[in-house]
Amino acid sequence: MKGTHLGELEELILLTVGVLYKEAYGVAVMEEVEKQTGRKLNISAVHSVLTRLEEKGFVKSEMGGSTEERGGRRKRIFNLTAAGRKSLDKINAIRSQLYNQIPKVALNFSYA
Amino acid sequence: MKIHPPRWADRFLEWYCNPALLEQIQGDAYELYSRQVKENKRKADLLFIWNVIRFFRLKNIRKSKSTYSSQYAFMFKSYLLTALRSSIRNRTTTLINMLGLSLGVGIAITVFLFMDFMFHIDGFHINRDRIYQIVSHVQHDKETDLWGDSPFLLGPALQAGYPSIERTARVEMNSGAVRRNDVVFNEAIWFVDPDFLRMFSFPVVKGNPDALDHKGSLVLTAPIAEKYFGTTDPIGQVVSIKFSNGTKEEFTVGAVIQRPENSGMYPTMLLAMEILEDLKFQANYDWSHLTDATFVMFKPGHPYSEIESGLGKYKMLQNRSSPDWLIGYFEFIPLPMLAQRSYEIHHAISIASHPSGVWSLGAIAVMLLLLACFNYMNVSVATVATRLKEIGIRKVIGSRKKEIIQQFLTENFVLCFFALVLGGLISYLLFLPGFNTLYPFTVPFSFHSGNTTFLVFAGLLIFVGLVSGAYPSLYVSSFQPIRILRGREKFGQRGLFSRILLAGQFILAFTTIVGSFVFIDNSLYQKYKDWGYDHSQNIVVPVAGKQQFLALRDKAAGQATIEQVSGSVNHIGYQNTNVFFDHLQERFQTIAYQVGFGYPETMNLRLKSGRFFDKGVQSDYRESVLVNEAFVKKMGWVEPLNQSFEYDSVRRYVIGVIRDFHYDGFYEPIGPVMMAIGNEDNFRYLSIRVTKGRLGDAETFLKGAWKEIAPDDPYEGILQDHVFEIFQRDNNANVKLLSFISSMAVALACLGLFGLVPYNITRRLKEFSIRKVFGASLPQILRLMNRDYVWILVASFVIGAPSGFILFNSLIKHIYPDPQATRALPFLVAIGLMMTTVVITIGSQLKRVANENPGTTLKSE
Repeated sequence: MKGTHLGELEELILLTVGVLYKEAYGVAVMEEVEKQTGRKLNISAVHSVLTRLEEKGFVKSEMGGSTEERGGRRKRIFNLTAAGRKSLDKINAIRSQLYNQIPKVALNFSYA
Repeated sequence: MKIHPPRWADRFLEWYCNPALLEQIQGDAYELYSRQVKENKRKADLLFIWNVIRFFRLKNIRKSKSTYSSQYAFMFKSYLLTALRSSIRNRTTTLINMLGLSLGVGIAITVFLFMDFMFHIDGFHINRDRIYQIVSHVQHDKETDLWGDSPFLLGPALQAGYPSIERTARVEMNSGAVRRNDVVFNEAIWFVDPDFLRMFSFPVVKGNPDALDHKGSLVLTAPIAEKYFGTTDPIGQVVSIKFSNGTKEEFTVGAVIQRPENSGMYPTMLLAMEILEDLKFQANYDWSHLTDATFVMFKPGHPYSEIESGLGKYKMLQNRSSPDWLIGYFEFIPLPMLAQRSYEIHHAISIASHPSGVWSLGAIAVMLLLLACFNYMNVSVATVATRLKEIGIRKVIGSRKKEIIQQFLTENFVLCFFALVLGGLISYLLFLPGFNTLYPFTVPFSFHSGNTTFLVFAGLLIFVGLVSGAYPSLYVSSFQPIRILRGREKFGQRGLFSRILLAGQFILAFTTIVGSFVFIDNSLYQKYKDWGYDHSQNIVVPVAGKQQFLALRDKAAGQATIEQVSGSVNHIGYQNTNVFFDHLQERFQTIAYQVGFGYPETMNLRLKSGRFFDKGVQSDYRESVLVNEAFVKKMGWVEPLNQSFEYDSVRRYVIGVIRDFHYDGFYEPIGPVMMAIGNEDNFRYLSIRVTKGRLGDAETFLKGAWKEIAPDDPYEGILQDHVFEIFQRDNNANVKLLSFISSMAVALACLGLFGLVPYNITRRLKEFSIRKVFGASLPQILRLMNRDYVWILVASFVIGAPSGFILFNSLIKHIYPDPQATRALPFLVAIGLMMTTVVITIGSQLKRVANENPGTTLKSE
C-alpha cells in the first residue's frame, strides 16, 4: 500500500476538503482545520499536503474564482475524488471496527 | 483594495516560485496578508515574510528552463564512473598526472602561505591602522637616506602638542649583562615608554600589562623568561642588570609577553624609558639625541596628515642641535607597511624579507604550477586515444558537444580536487616544514583570514581545473563520430598544438632551472667571495672598559697560539660607525674606525699604497688616517697619499690606502672607510689573530682568561668568520630553496614526458616493428624515439634559458651590488641536466620496444 497510505495530517486535510465541498482552497482549509480542531497550521504546510494528496489521486483540483483580497489571483479549488472518498470510508471503517473490538471493561474507568 | 506586502519578499517569492504554482501560492499569501493587515500592518508584514520563507520548498521552487539539471545530476554519476574506470585502466598515467599536479599545487600552497605570512607581518596588532612610525629622511652627499631613528624628544613633544594623538611610544635599544644567581648572559634591552605595551598587541602571557608604569619592573618575552627561570613562575622574581656604563641595578619581573611569529619586531627585554634617563649614558638627552624608533597612535578618524605639516618646527630644533646629522623631513609610515619597507630603512625596527624576493618566489610558484598544468594537459590529450570509442558512441547516441565538454571538465575537476587535497597534504607534511627549517621564522599552515584561505583554494581549483582541462575537453569533443568509429581518427600526437604544449612545458622548466642556477651560482659566489681580508684566523672579544681590555690584552699577548692582538673602539663587521665631515663645501659620509696600533695588521687588511700606522711617528697619534679605495674614489683624488681633510676639528692626512673590504654583508656596496688611532681608554674590542690551525686552543684559553678577569660578565668572543652569519645563513637557505625548486622543475617536466612517451611509442609500435623486421638496430630506434623530443628541447632551451636568465639576473642585480659575472656554467648545467633526464626517461621505454616481438605486433590485424 506504499504510496497511498494516509498520514495523520493528510487524513485531517482530506476530511476538511470533503467538509468544505467546492470551497476548499489553501487558506480556507487552513482556517477550517483551525476552527474544527484548534490546530494552527502554516499555509505552506497545507499547500504541500494538498499537493501530495493530489499526487496520490485523493483530490483533484481546478482553478476557481479570484477575489480582490487575493490581489486578483485565482484560487485552486480542491475536490475529493472517488479514490479519496473510498480511502476515507475505509479508514473510518477500520477505526470503528477497531473501536468496537475494545472490551467494554477496558472502557470502564471507574475500576481504576 | 491595494495590497502592499514587503516588496522584496514578494519579489523573492516570484523569483523562486515555480510559475505553475505561483498564482495559488501568491493568492493565498496575499489573502492572509490582507486579513491580517487590517489589524496590524507590522505583524502582517512579518507573517508575510514568514510565509514566503516557509513556501521556499523544493516542490515549489522554479525548475530550470529545461530539465537539464536533473539530467546532469544523473549523468554526473555516470561521468564519475567512467572517469574512475578509465583512470584505473591507465593506472600509471593517472598516478603520474595526479602526482605532478599535487606537487605543483603543494609548492603553490606553500609559497602562497609564505607570501600571505610576509605581507601580514605585524598584522596581529589590533590598532595597526592607527599606528605610525616617524622615520627621518637624512641629507648627505646631495642625496637623502631613510633612517628609522628620530629625535628622542619628538615623541613627548608631539604627545603634548597634538590632541589627535592618542599615544606615543619610543624605543631605545641598548644592552646589558643580565644575571640571575649564576646565570649571566648579555641581552638586548629595549627602553620603551609605558604606552608601548598598550599601543601594540603583544599577548601578555603572565603578569600585569601595565608593568612598565613602575620603574623597577622588567618585561620579558617568553623564551627569555624560560632561559632564566625555567619552569618556575618568573613573576615577582628579581634579576640584576649590569648596563654598559657599569651601573648595576635590580629589577622585578612584572610581565611576560609573547612575540607572535608574524611580528616584525624582536623585543626580548623591556624596561621603562625613565630608567634610561636616570642611567645617563649621555650627559643630557636633548634634541641632538636620536632614539631608535618613535611610534604614534592617532585617535580614530584622525589621519596623520593633520599634523604632518606642523613637524617643521621640530625638524628645525633637531637641525640646530646637530648640524652634522641634518634631517630633511619626517615621514609617517603606517605599521602594516613598516616591515615591507624595511629594506630601504636603515636601522629598521620591524623587519620582513625583501618584497621583490617574496614576489619572485610567487612568480616561480606560478610557473611551476603552470608547468604541472601543461604536463597534465599534454598527458590528458595523449590518453584520449584509449577512450576514442567511448566518445564516438556517446556522440552517436546523442551527446552534444557541450555535454562531452562537460563530461571531461567534470572528470578534470574531480581529479583536480583530489590533487588539491593531496597538494595541501604534501605542503602540510613536507614542503612547509621543510621550508621552515631554512629560515629563522616559522610560517604556520594557515592563511591570514578565512577569506584568503577560501580564495586561494577555490582559485587554485578553478585555475588548475580550467587551465589543465579546457584544451583536452575541447579537443576531445570536436571529433567526428563516424571517423572515430571507422577507426580513421588519428589522435594528435604529431599535432602542432601538442608540440607547442610540450615546448611550453619545457620552456617553463628551462626558465625556472636556468634562473635558479644563475641565482645559485651567484649565491655561491657571494658565499666564497674574498672579503678583502683574511678572516679565517681571527677572534674578536668585546670588552667593558679599559681595565678588562688591558688585562685581557696582556694575558693574550704572551700566548704561543696567538700571533697578534690589537684593540679598537669599534670593529669591522661588528660595529661600523657612520660619521659625516665637510670638505670643500661638500658633505661626505664615511665609516670611521678608531683603532689601536697594529689593528690593520691584526685584521690582515691589505695595503694598496703608503703605509700602516707606526708607533714611532708622533703625528700618527692624532692626524694620520688610512682610507679605503672607495674613499679615494668618492673624494676624486688621483694621488691620495698626503691629501688632507678636516674631520672632528682636526686636519687629517692620508698616510696609506687600504684595499676595499666588506664590513656590512654583501647587500650593500662598499662605501668609504677611514681609520684613525683612537684613545685606548675607549677601546671596546680586542681583536686577535691566531696561529693557523689553533683556533680551538685559542678560544679555550680566552674563555679561561675571561673567567679570571671578569667573572661577572659573560664571555662574548666570536670568530670573525661569523660576523656575517645572518647573511651566510640566508644565502645558504636560498641555495637550498632554489636547488629544490629547480629539481622540482626537472621532475615535473620529466614526469610529463614519462606519461607521454608510452603513448607515442604505442602509436609507433608498428613502425618500429617493421623497422626491426628490416633489420634496424636498437640504437637506431632509440635515435628515432628521441629525435622529436630533442628538437623541442633545444627550441625550448633557446627561448626559456634567456628569459630565465634575464628574470633572475635583474633580481640579483636588484639585491646584490656585486653579482657574479655572467658565465656559461649555469646554462650548460641546465641543458645537460635536462638532456640527460629526457634521454633517460625515453630510454626507460626502450626495453618495451626491444622486447616486442614484431610478429605479435604486426599480426594483430
